[in-house]
Amino acid sequence: MRITARDFFAVLNSMRLMPSAAFVGELQRITGHDAVLDRPDDLMLYEYDAGVRKCTPVSVVFPQNTQQVAQIMKLASSAGFPLVARGAGTGLSGGAIAPEGGVVVAFARMNRILEVDAANMRAVVQPGVVNQQLSDNVAHLGLYFAPDPSSQKACTIGGNVAENSGGPHTLAYGVTVNHVTGLRVVLPSGEVVHFGGKAAECDGYDLTGFMVGSEGTVGIVTEITVRLLRRPERIATLLAIFETIDEGAKTVAAITAAGVTPAALEMLDGWTLRAVEAACHAGYPLDAGAVLLIELEGLAEQVEEQAEAVRAVCFEQRAREVRRAKDENERTLLWKGRKNAFAALGRLAPSYYSQDGVVPRTKIPAVLQFIGSVAEKYGLRIGNIFHAGDGNLHPLILFDPRDPAQLELVQVASRDILERCVAVGGSITGEHGVGLEKKNLMPLLFTDNDLDVMLSLRNAFNAAGVLNPGKLFPTTRMCRETSGPSTNPVLQAEGM
Amino acid sequence: MSTAEVSLDVARELRAICGDDKTRERPAGGVYVSPATAEEVAAIVRLANERRLSVGAAGGSTERGAVELNTDIVLHTAQLTEVEHYDHADLTVGVGAGMTVAQLNDVVGADNLMFGADPPLQERCTIGGLLSTAAHGPLRHGYGAVRDYCIGVRFVTGDGRRAKGGGRVVKNVAGYDLMKLLIGSYGTLAVITSASFKLFPRPRQTRTFLGEFAKANEAIAFRDRVVRSPLAPMCLELVSAGARKMMRPEMDEDAWVVCVRAAGSDAVLGRYRKELGTAISREVDGEGERTMWKVLGDFPRAMSGAGNIGPDVTLQVTGPPSETLAIVETVQTTAAESGAEVGMIGRAGVGHVQVTIRGVSQNLAEQVRTIVERLGQLRNGLSVKAVGAQNPWPVRPASLESMRAVKRALDPNNILRGREIA
Repeated sequence: MRITARDFFAVLNSMRLMPSAAFVGELQRITGHDAVLDRPDDLMLYEYDAGVRKCTPVSVVFPQNTQQVAQIMKLASSAGFPLVARGAGTGLSGGAIAPEGGVVVAFARMNRILEVDAANMRAVVQPGVVNQQLSDNVAHLGLYFAPDPSSQKACTIGGNVAENSGGPHTLAYGVTVNHVTGLRVVLPSGEVVHFGGKAAECDGYDLTGFMVGSEGTVGIVTEITVRLLRRPERIATLLAIFETIDEGAKTVAAITAAGVTPAALEMLDGWTLRAVEAACHAGYPLDAGAVLLIELEGLAEQVEEQAEAVRAVCFEQRAREVRRAKDENERTLLWKGRKNAFAALGRLAPSYYSQDGVVPRTKIPAVLQFIGSVAEKYGLRIGNIFHAGDGNLHPLILFDPRDPAQLELVQVASRDILERCVAVGGSITGEHGVGLEKKNLMPLLFTDNDLDVMLSLRNAFNAAGVLNPGKLFPTTRMCRETSGPSTNPVLQAEGM
Repeated sequence: MSTAEVSLDVARELRAICGDDKTRERPAGGVYVSPATAEEVAAIVRLANERRLSVGAAGGSTERGAVELNTDIVLHTAQLTEVEHYDHADLTVGVGAGMTVAQLNDVVGADNLMFGADPPLQERCTIGGLLSTAAHGPLRHGYGAVRDYCIGVRFVTGDGRRAKGGGRVVKNVAGYDLMKLLIGSYGTLAVITSASFKLFPRPRQTRTFLGEFAKANEAIAFRDRVVRSPLAPMCLELVSAGARKMMRPEMDEDAWVVCVRAAGSDAVLGRYRKELGTAISREVDGEGERTMWKVLGDFPRAMSGAGNIGPDVTLQVTGPPSETLAIVETVQTTAAESGAEVGMIGRAGVGHVQVTIRGVSQNLAEQVRTIVERLGQLRNGLSVKAVGAQNPWPVRPASLESMRAVKRALDPNNILRGREIA
């Protein structure tokens, strides 16, 4: 079942034997001449995602239907070149970065909403549909798609499925997997299969649930059936302002302890707040230590009671002030600051590194203090803007990527932070995925046996590693089975 | 090797793993064993692999009784009841697979928390059984399926590897989502030894509003009204006239009932009353409400003893909600043709109907087969599960080939045969 080192190098060698011009021609035959890129200046646009890693693909192909994806898959399997599916490239963990010698399968041309079934609150979409566009498209029916990553104006639902993306409102409604009921999948064999459908339960194993978040290592999804939710009749958006980070952080667990589950519960520390305010003019207080952005949704009577309860908890926890958005405009402005925060930090440094650790809610105050000490230890600037309600931290470390020493320092600091997250019972990723970025941190969470079980499942479908090789599984421990040599310096440094 | 031979030879080795008092030969051949730790579970499964013996896990026997398992080794989870972690302020808990749902609610109830699932017979239904069968009860409507709040799982694969997926935090995408894979796999891939869950605040006050309707289509139209309203009830259950007769044979009413359970303050409950309007004929709260939901949740298994013992067969049918009426009518028409008595009850808001068929003649199996066939003709996308059956999916799953690939990856010697995937 498992791929051996010998098998792997056989694949790698056959890959080298096939001159790229030959399979580019084959790809063009499948998808049409205008649907394949192979000029270096075009390929440069596909060598990165929203993280810090790069690798130039040998080609980019734009399939227009499932059959073409299946043909591409068969070609890749027989010719021995690896594939990676790509949506909008907004990922932060390197999931859509091409493997060495790999071809990017880009879904920009499979971007149609195939069906909206309002009666059953479902939609069937192609993977290239932009997250926000689906919600916009069904808004007139009073419906929306709940997962709302900060990149939702650009990111695709196919990418959301691959990474099991979250967002602020997943606190109450769950991440992508809780909103997908069916998939059409092309397996590495080229076979097209259906998992699940519109029904809330499926026959057989929950392979839909297994596929979501498998980071493109099991199959390529070409059709997605999603749940739509009904828009709530009342939304209350509160901004609770605190003098210190610690008071804000302690309030998070206190709100939950009061029996209230907000739709969203976000935190920004004072430093980030000021950076965001300078760029977005969201109306955030410039002198605060931290703010919590709290959203309550549902039946009007319930929302009003919860808003009162939350306000009371905030004041008990020494909030200086609790504001409530008066109307949709004010609400939009408060969220604009949150959703554009990462971009706003671009004004302060050439780049940033966003981490995605998770801790139990009650550990947030201690872990934020720890992050402060890490910043001090390495002389780095670290901002915190994150999904506090579910303990999903996003420490943002500013740095200059032109300075290799800085990048190295940033990665050491990141590792320190994630090790602490795991030590207090948390995880290395809440919504960004493992990808290239955190694959070598997987042993912090998982034993050899755990990883071996996952690997045997990957190999059940993708034994030859044609799909997204070198991702998710650690190369430090399992290099024999998952990766080969690389000429890319960043990847090489990581043992790829 | 026949089960009779197994009992003599293997029982000795199982005693070495679990102790004399935790190993017992079955009268019909084979061995019962009750491991105390995940290590012991792994040792049992490895032994089974060495000897090519079949293993079936048994919990509270609420679906398929341990006595019905025809595996060489029946592995009871009764001793796996440890609380691995309980972080009440974080609303998370991790417990052994042998703990019952009622015990779990006792553990967390003191902190005004609750577990999100209320499967039938909670005093007996174990966490392992709940996960393996993806069982649910009326809370499925408001709190989601167990796949939505199971955040970690520890297990032993069919080839004896002790492993885990997920963790202890409510948000976590590290590694493959093995919770999803194991939930509803009926123990055919791994023996679940423990699992972690997100918990929910226990509502301070609840009330149930009952609407009675002469016909199924009227009841389903009322369901649609509730689903499209701003209301977000905890439970939204449809009960057929036939199910009511099975529950209370002395009743001669012939109405379908929709039960809407709401949580909240007096103001919130008042809003429910206003929105639901004149369709509501009765309200229940307090002890009466609790008893009512227990009777509904346990139906029909409370009456027929363990699993399918007795004259009933139960199917779990789930489709897109727009198909509910077609499901109900198909079942009724087919049952009437063959003279079978049927009771239907279900989480109508999510498109689920539990169909209980009681044969008046000897050919119950034939009647069930006809119903399943007709349901299969309805439309693609219907999920049908047969409660307690050796093969839980009477309609061949479209993903069968992929399922087999997964089965081979985790249980290459096909050791786990308490249920079969066809």
